[in-house]
Amino acid sequence: MPSKRIFDRIDSIQLRGVTKKYEGRFAINDLTLDIEGGEMLILIGPSGSGKTTTLRMINRLIEPDSGTIHINGQDIIELEQVSLRRNIGYVIQNIGLFPHMTIAENIGLVAKLEGWDKEKISERVKYLLDFVSLPSEMFMNRYPHQLSGGQQQRVGLARALVMDPPLLLMDEPFGALDPILRKQLQEEFCIIREKLGKTIIFVTHDIEEAFKLADRIGIMDDAKLVQIGTAEELIFHPANDMVASIVDTGKKFKHLDTLRIRDLMTPLDNKYVHAASLAVDEAIDSMLAKDIELAVVSNGNEPVGIVRLPDLMRLGETSDTIGDHAVSVPSFASDELLEPSLKDLHEKGHSIAFVTDNGRISGFLFPNDVFRQLV
Amino acid sequence: MVTIETILGHTGEHLVLLLTTLFVSICISLPLAFASLYSKRVGYVIMKFANLAQAVPSFAVVAIVVPLIGIGFYPALIAILLRALLPIIKNTYIGLSTVNASMLDYADGIGLNKWQILRYIRLPNAYPAIFAGIKFASILINSIAILTAYIGSGGLGELIFDGLVGFNNEKILAGAIPAILIALTLDVIFTAMEKKLVPDYRK
Amino acid sequence: MLLSDLMNVWEANSLTTRTIEHLTMFSIAIVIASIIGVSLGIYLYSRPGIAHPVLNFLNVVETIPDIPLLVLLLPIFGLGEEPTIVASILYSLLPITRNTYTGLKEVDQQYVDIAHAMGLSQRDILFRVRIPLSLPMIAGGLRIALVFTMGVVTLGGLIAAGGLGAALIAGIQLYEVGTILVAGIWTGLLAVILDGFAGSIEKKLQRRYGTW
Ligand SMILES: Nc1ncnc2c1ncn2[C@@H]1O[C@H](COP(=O)(O)OP(=O)(O)OP(=O)(O)O)[C@@H](O)[C@H]1O
Ligand SMILES: [Mg+2]
Repeated sequence: MPSKRIFDRIDSIQLRGVTKKYEGRFAINDLTLDIEGGEMLILIGPSGSGKTTTLRMINRLIEPDSGTIHINGQDIIELEQVSLRRNIGYVIQNIGLFPHMTIAENIGLVAKLEGWDKEKISERVKYLLDFVSLPSEMFMNRYPHQLSGGQQQRVGLARALVMDPPLLLMDEPFGALDPILRKQLQEEFCIIREKLGKTIIFVTHDIEEAFKLADRIGIMDDAKLVQIGTAEELIFHPANDMVASIVDTGKKFKHLDTLRIRDLMTPLDNKYVHAASLAVDEAIDSMLAKDIELAVVSNGNEPVGIVRLPDLMRLGETSDTIGDHAVSVPSFASDELLEPSLKDLHEKGHSIAFVTDNGRISGFLFPNDVFRQLV
Repeated sequence: MVTIETILGHTGEHLVLLLTTLFVSICISLPLAFASLYSKRVGYVIMKFANLAQAVPSFAVVAIVVPLIGIGFYPALIAILLRALLPIIKNTYIGLSTVNASMLDYADGIGLNKWQILRYIRLPNAYPAIFAGIKFASILINSIAILTAYIGSGGLGELIFDGLVGFNNEKILAGAIPAILIALTLDVIFTAMEKKLVPDYRK
Repeated sequence: MLLSDLMNVWEANSLTTRTIEHLTMFSIAIVIASIIGVSLGIYLYSRPGIAHPVLNFLNVVETIPDIPLLVLLLPIFGLGEEPTIVASILYSLLPITRNTYTGLKEVDQQYVDIAHAMGLSQRDILFRVRIPLSLPMIAGGLRIALVFTMGVVTLGGLIAAGGLGAALIAGIQLYEVGTILVAGIWTGLLAVILDGFAGSIEKKLQRRYGTW
């Protein structure tokens, strides 16, 4: 049966004196927090500091011992749990796609429970899959175990978006992914976010991720919110040493003109390298098994280019090798200066480059990612 | 009229058959399970066979024994053995073979030999499963030992079958009730022994 | 043994009819036991307070040897198919109920958690998440029940229920080696085939609904 649309947009979320104890210990201690409509707030802090608890109180998976939470001025305790949750998207690190449902069924489940008709559900599922860059005709009928971790995470996001909720809660969504894949997804998420225009509360352990994505960052420690503000505010006016040490790791790039490529490259694991002679379907299997979406195609020791998993999957039945489909990318030595290389990449519109050490590939440079870290 | 002596006599016969078979099946099963541990192939074959054979109804096994070995105590014993070996072997094998790999690595690392690994690592790990297998087998034996009266093993089953033929309810109950009591007693004894012998280190 | 001898034994003992009797009792028992067992399992799951006593009681029933159970049912149901079917059901209840209950209870918490977060009602979580994810476990219980039922139905021959057990008894009483061997092997084979079939369904369910 359809549940009520409680809010079409978020104007404000207010937590007032929210407290939660487990066995006498504070998980959240007197938390007061205001979230503005449309902003992306990132919570960061040591393990056990109460980030997850905060998120789960907003969709009432956890009820506070005391304190109130208002969304658009309405106390959520007065709302019906099921409809509240259908108005809030929830994405978690271990995703939790239902193993017995296809990707389409996973994404469309709540829509089905809401009584949508088949066509409308299937249209919505297709739209969402394309939205998270998974070709829908290829993925709709697969089961979760047939997807790589990164692909599952995309489906998890699509599932959370099915009812077009104005609020998204995301608990370390990229936490389990390999660094390069994480960078790719972060980049995609940046673009998606613009299109979505939703209010997002996002938990992470990665301060770089926070700097890259957040409008504001909230630092939590020991069940309390220690400080909240923009990246600049935290960097220039840290409330205490703990805040300073957390933000410090993220701000090592002060003098752009002296930075070298190696300072900002993303190091590359051997598992990314695939021989050009590898058949396309073998490469797909290997990439799924290694949970990567990007592979370096190499001819002996010579990198010839890259292939992306979705592109390979789109080829369908073929006897080609990945060498046939490698896309060449620019390449820089790791000791080159960063600035001119970035300019060069920017002008030519490249979003990825190889970094080499003595002619051997040692990492990637993602110019967009680097830009975001610099500004 | 069924006298106490009759009941006791039949119960005695039943218990002798039960305990002999249980003892023999333990003596055969455990070495077989240990042996199959050291060859993946043998282990696989034994498990496959045990799984298949466990589906065969006891009555079919008891019946087939007749033309092959005849009737009486020993054919009955063999018929029961054929069914009772399986759960013990199966459980023992599973218990011995599902040992945490890192534990085996560690044992290798501190230089235990195969025998010591069996004695100090695999066996203690397998106790609960072995025990469960023996308990299950004993209850199964009790049950088949009634049936084997049909092929001349004597025991409590004889009272029941005589009663059935003569529509003598008293005789039927004189056979059935002790058999049920024995089953419940076995269950209680084994559960108690299990609690006592199997250390509670798992949770 | 020649094929014609085999056919003779088969005909003389009307094994086709016996097999049909056998499978009829078997199917009735399994269908009823599944319906009761699965419902009871779901009910116990919703009433965890009584789960333990009920399962313990079924455990005791399970311990009762088969022939005494059959003969105890005689005064209530008379001779024949009914007590055989009832005894089969009684034995099958424990594995089916227990596996249903455990399956429902032990569904990986992460799926339940995310289902709550997505805004599924308790009812939807039960029917769309817990039950489907317990199907492999329930199938495992059913498979055990199948083996028990096969055994009890065969014993039914002893209390005039017909079925393949009746053929075995005829063989033993008249000491007809051919009859004993043919009926015995066929009974065993039938049980193994049914068990194998159930096993393959269980595997399929595991592949489909199992957690990866
Ligand atoms: N269900 C629970 N029972 C008992 N204690 C709990 C429970 N849930 C959370 N806690 C405790 O509450 C505190 C806050 O937990 P929370 O999960 O919010 O931390 P977190 O900041 O998300 O940590 P992490 O970064 O490790 O995910 C921790 O000390 C945790 O042990
Ligand atoms: Mg957390």
